[in-house]
Amino acid sequence: MFFNSLTFAVFLPIVFVLYWFVFNKTKSSQNLLLILASYYFYSCWDWRFLFLLVFSTFLDYYTGIQIEKNKNEKIRKFWFWLSIGINLGLLAVFKYYNFFASSFATLLSDFGLKSSPFLLDVVLPVGISFYTFHGLSYVIDIYYKRIKAEYNFVDYSLFVSYFPLLVAGPIERATHLLPQVKIKRTFDYEKAKQGAYQFIWGLVKKVVIADTCATYANAIFDNYTQMNSWSLVLGAVYFAFQIYGDFSGYSAMALGMSKLFGMDLLRNFNYPYFSRDIAEFWRRWHISLSSWFRDYLYIPLGGSKGSKSKQVRNVFIIFVVSGFWHGANWTYLAWGFINALYFLPLLLRNKNRSNMEMVQLQWNFASAKEILHIFYTFALACLAWIFFRAKSITDAVLYIKRIFTEGNFSSQYLTNERYNYELLLMIALFVVVEWNNRFKEEPLSGKNSWLKVALAIAAIVALGTYSDYKEFIYFQF
Amino acid sequence: MKKFLLFILKISIVLVVVAVALDFGFTTIYKQSKSRGKIDYVFNSSARKYDVVILGSSRANNHFVSDLFEKQGLKTFNYGMSGGHLFEASLLLKLMIERKYEIKNVILEADLNLSNDQQSEGVSAKYLPYLHSSETVRKHFENEKDFNELYYIPFYRYLKFETRIGIRETFFTAIQKKSKLILNGGYYSLGETKGNMKNNITKLKPLPHNKYYEEIKALCKANNIHFIAIMTPMCENVTGMNYFDKVHKAYPEIHNYENVVVENKYFSSCGHMNDEGARLFTNNIIHDFFKSKK
Repeated sequence: MFFNSLTFAVFLPIVFVLYWFVFNKTKSSQNLLLILASYYFYSCWDWRFLFLLVFSTFLDYYTGIQIEKNKNEKIRKFWFWLSIGINLGLLAVFKYYNFFASSFATLLSDFGLKSSPFLLDVVLPVGISFYTFHGLSYVIDIYYKRIKAEYNFVDYSLFVSYFPLLVAGPIERATHLLPQVKIKRTFDYEKAKQGAYQFIWGLVKKVVIADTCATYANAIFDNYTQMNSWSLVLGAVYFAFQIYGDFSGYSAMALGMSKLFGMDLLRNFNYPYFSRDIAEFWRRWHISLSSWFRDYLYIPLGGSKGSKSKQVRNVFIIFVVSGFWHGANWTYLAWGFINALYFLPLLLRNKNRSNMEMVQLQWNFASAKEILHIFYTFALACLAWIFFRAKSITDAVLYIKRIFTEGNFSSQYLTNERYNYELLLMIALFVVVEWNNRFKEEPLSGKNSWLKVALAIAAIVALGTYSDYKEFIYFQF
Repeated sequence: MKKFLLFILKISIVLVVVAVALDFGFTTIYKQSKSRGKIDYVFNSSARKYDVVILGSSRANNHFVSDLFEKQGLKTFNYGMSGGHLFEASLLLKLMIERKYEIKNVILEADLNLSNDQQSEGVSAKYLPYLHSSETVRKHFENEKDFNELYYIPFYRYLKFETRIGIRETFFTAIQKKSKLILNGGYYSLGETKGNMKNNITKLKPLPHNKYYEEIKALCKANNIHFIAIMTPMCENVTGMNYFDKVHKAYPEIHNYENVVVENKYFSSCGHMNDEGARLFTNNIIHDFFKSKK
């Protein structure tokens, strides 16, 4: 059940009405309804994985309590590592086992040794990377005594399984979401209205921007050996907007609908393509994941403390692991590694925290320079996205090589029966709208909001891509 | 909460108003169109006179060379539609009759398309802008399973078939961008580039009473149009060629011209002849059905 599906359009109002009109008496009844709705929502993908979700929830709930209750450090450590081990073990089995087994077999064959690895015939449970990370952060925080364990199983389950964030984040923290789960929510008109705006804008990003870009990006990436240089450049740009529209659109819908239930989720995107360097980009892209890795991996490794070589090591570890989190493929590892390379010059020159605020322009030379930096950073991001989108590293390298060697920058007719340049106007319009609203979470609120809502609805209806239905990219992670 | 429910109600009203307005706008544009494809070319026309009208799928569109008929003094238009089924061909003929076309002969390509009486959504979508403007179109679609959604939900048809009648096609229609589909008397020639030169049609079975084939036949009879049904050629490497015998058995009146052109050099893909093959084939048809009568 996707957020942009008709079934969800029925599901959401039913849950909303039940939540505020039937189950609104106590916090417990509200939470119980949301849990039931979340489990139903999750079972719509594959009910068998519901057991995995419940198991993962119970594991972290129980180990969290054991860690807190026991004063003996050895026993605390035991429960801590048991939780970490099982959580990562589940991820390893479902997400990474086949990759490691087949990569090892390839390595052996390179040395002339034949092997037929045992591969698991399993489907990746949707959202496993997200809810596993919820649980991990919770257990780690308890172990380091940053938070108290949650003793109410329903409340804890809701923190892990809350349907707006269950399958593609944002990756929530117990410190942020649990306190909201622990109190009875009362209806707040302004918050709900803001949520509706955010949901509509997320839908625009998904069906108008992401899905339309996808038809072009697919036509170009899937046939890159026949594409000219101009098409290949556009293919990378279209994919950049596809993945941005897709994931930030999903996040906006998640945040928006959560507000309808009176709860705020962590912001996941903050106009990343207006970043002036790659460090700023990573503070604005998939913020909940970046900050997760910062807090639970980068800082424990030493972060930006210690010698430069240690800092460089930490940067490479966090980016490569972040790439690997996205999927069991060398292309994601390469994507993470490339981003680490981009980050390196900033780190070595201590410039990685120089663009902390949203860009503001004036009519002067400094602003012109900032614009150039934005374009440069976007170009770097697009180059890295090629690795993210390509089927293999070889394909990505050949794609990039062809951009520089093919040399033809004319318009080209694609397999989606469109010319390669046709989307540029729509993307330009989207960028202008985002730019003008970069200090807000969404562009629909404020002055003339009804006109803007009408235009957004018109865009969804008239400009959306529906016949070639695409699911959200991040569901596969 | 009341305030929010009112807010949601307002958004719902905006959604309906936007959908109705867009539906009206798109439909108005399609009702002016005469040059984007064969369906609007017929729908927005008045009486035309033809000696020969050709109907069918791409195997009609790419195989009957209108110019060769014209050279014989036969005013001809090839209304074959790539990807189309008999569902769409039948409706096109109904619209021609409704517009008082004077037609002497209808040549219907009837072979592989006899195996189903479903609509071809990609082609039939082009009729949908006229769903509310034509009783004929409405009646033709009314037994289709998604008719109610298409008919009653404003803009749903444009949204569902956005690749066919969505914003892009509407824009091209509005600026009256010419399409190649109605040039050369509707005939679309294929080049030498070889597509798949193998085909397996063993699973295809002609329906014993194809609803839309019978409908076309009946329409011709009722309007004194000479009806000629023809099976058209396929390449050498086809498995299941007895399909054409089955067609002949079920419909003895269909003329079997499948083996008139055989060699692969006359084909662009297994089911479609190139221009040279199409000319060879068309000359045979003209010779057998028209020259002999003159």
